[in-house]
Amino acid sequence: MIRSRLLPLALCAIIASALVGCDWMPGKPNPANRWKPAASITDPATLFAQNCLACHSIGATTSAAIALNSPTFLAVIPPATLKDTITNGIPGSRMPAFVESKGGSLTAAQIDLLVDFILKNKKPIEGPLPPYAAPLGNAATGQVAFATFCASCHGGTGAGAKAGSIVDPDYLGLVTDQYLRTIVIAGRPELGCPDFRSRVPGRAMTDQDISDVVAWLASNRRNDLGQPLAAPNP
Amino acid sequence: MIANAKKKVTDAALGVFGWIDDRIHVSEIFEHTAGHHIPKSTSSWFYVFGSATLLCLIIQLVTGTLLALAYVPSGAEAYTTLEYLTFEQPLGWYLRGIHYWGSNFMVSIMLIHMTQVYLFGAYKYPREVTWMSGVLLLVITLGLAFTGQVMRFDEDAYWGIGIGAAITGRSPGIGGPLVQMLLGGPIISAETLSRFFTLHVFVLPGSILAIIVLHLRMVLLKGINEWPEPGVEVNRETYDRHYAAIIKREGMPFVPHGIGKDLIAGAIVIVGILVCAAVFGPKGPIGPPDPTQIDANPRPDFFFMWIFAIAALMPDYMETVALLVAPPIVITLLFLLPFLNNTGEKHWSRRPAAVLTVVGLYLSLGLLSWWGITSPWSPAMTAWRADPTPKQFLVGHTPLELQGAIVLQQKQCRNCHAIDGIGGVRGPDLAEVGSRLTAPELARQVIQGGGNMPAYGKNLSPYEVNALVAYMVSLHPTGTTPAQDSAKPSVPPPENSKRQASADPAHGDHG
Repeated sequence: MIRSRLLPLALCAIIASALVGCDWMPGKPNPANRWKPAASITDPATLFAQNCLACHSIGATTSAAIALNSPTFLAVIPPATLKDTITNGIPGSRMPAFVESKGGSLTAAQIDLLVDFILKNKKPIEGPLPPYAAPLGNAATGQVAFATFCASCHGGTGAGAKAGSIVDPDYLGLVTDQYLRTIVIAGRPELGCPDFRSRVPGRAMTDQDISDVVAWLASNRRNDLGQPLAAPNP
Repeated sequence: MIANAKKKVTDAALGVFGWIDDRIHVSEIFEHTAGHHIPKSTSSWFYVFGSATLLCLIIQLVTGTLLALAYVPSGAEAYTTLEYLTFEQPLGWYLRGIHYWGSNFMVSIMLIHMTQVYLFGAYKYPREVTWMSGVLLLVITLGLAFTGQVMRFDEDAYWGIGIGAAITGRSPGIGGPLVQMLLGGPIISAETLSRFFTLHVFVLPGSILAIIVLHLRMVLLKGINEWPEPGVEVNRETYDRHYAAIIKREGMPFVPHGIGKDLIAGAIVIVGILVCAAVFGPKGPIGPPDPTQIDANPRPDFFFMWIFAIAALMPDYMETVALLVAPPIVITLLFLLPFLNNTGEKHWSRRPAAVLTVVGLYLSLGLLSWWGITSPWSPAMTAWRADPTPKQFLVGHTPLELQGAIVLQQKQCRNCHAIDGIGGVRGPDLAEVGSRLTAPELARQVIQGGGNMPAYGKNLSPYEVNALVAYMVSLHPTGTTPAQDSAKPSVPPPENSKRQASADPAHGDHG
């Protein structure tokens, strides 16, 4: 008897508390998901995930373009260059301009946030560092330096051995001299290409070695007829 | 003593009731409405959907009234008030959730109700007007659903109106003036929302209530369809006597004897709506109704998903037919159904065509809705800059192939072509494309397009094409050979097939 009277009361209590509790039920919209214009996003990790992650990894993923957590890359690139690259892209390469005024999706303030976010991983590196940019060196001595530092993977002629060809005219037609220099300096450690210090144990590449190798690589550019070509863009 | 007091109270109550009944004839009204006699066989779980639909409407009227207290139907303020209701007002989101799920339940249960009525042959003589008023109720309910979607004045609403207006504008001769009338001007403006608000809050609810009165009046006048028996045919000469005999033999008052299952079903519907609102919440609002928001990805609510799918999938020469000719024909056929099929068998086991129609209709609507929800024809617009290439598609690749992988991202191939399931599904997945197509075939497809793919020849440099093709040729499962030209003698698989693939002389032919 008591049981049958208590049951409806208990049910009412449960329903009432459920109703009061509705304000934190799973269906309650999360204010964080409230729509905001893309220009108002200020979380750099979100900005990176929405704009950069497909081509540039920052640790958890692997990427086709250079990883932006590469310690050597971060150590050598001047912050102003990084900002300019994101803002204006690299004409003639696959890196588009991201600033709104050039058709991109980011405001100048968002680009500053991204630069800080990427440089957050920068750590000091021991030993002398080559400059990020430098004029081309001597191609003839570059070939010798290539044989010393790169041939063990890319073959004596650069046409590929353990690693693929680095003198394929299609490849060289797609990359700038600065790109070649950046890769010679920073390598792609996550894909098996060491940086300038680690190619030959105990012997880092000098500034001159780097500029010469880049000059030799650039001298391999060819057009469809096999004729030598200049750099695809300045 | 206590018994005496009880009797006094009862007498007094009866006296009051008797006075009221004497003045406004409540018991007589009751006898002719809720207390009307129904065949015993209709006190079944199959007969609860009509009352459940009505219950949904009542829930919609109550929650709609409450929503209208906060909602400002102006182009400038609607979105703000929606955000206020959703994020600021305590339990405002829950009210929106109940109204949203109430509409989903109402459309769904109404469809079940119609299906049951159709399969039970209830639309036949003498209940033609009951059916026809029901078809009107369906049309009005869909109108309420569409205008309700517009009340949630976000980008879905904006583009929903745009598509509605575009369809209306195709009407021959009167298209222009009709659009003008619908939008309150030539474009979607502040006037437009007022029009849809008036429709959603005054015109359509008023009409639905009026038609429900007719619908229920017909139910009372012509009775509830008895449970059909195979072999018992409807005959215009004899049916009325037959039905009267059933009522006489096994009739019982709807209240209190027949209403039990309706009440339980009603309770289930209420709990269902409340739980769905609590667990899944209201829909939107997503981005504001601003045509300059180019990253909008508008979708209709689920009851129009099938139309969305038809509009996306049909060839363009079918558009006018599918949008303007087919709907009036379908609605007219539905409306005139009782006259096309007025007598004869009612039981579904003797009406295979009816059963097949229902199965075919639900399969088509279900499949189209599923396509609408997944919309495989829509590119994943952010894949190119947000979905990283999985590691196994990068490690061990040549510098040229890696450049190809960057071209594939940067030229937004990924928006239509997934890699290993991540990315768009409009085109085929590219994870193993190298085992299907040879380098020349890939180059031709990239440059010329075809089969729904645009030509990229003018958007790619020869170097980019070569890099892209080299990368795609290298995409085949480890240990397998890349696709080979069937016109050439087959060659044994090279030792390191990936490396060989990139150095394949064939891809140099089209630089």
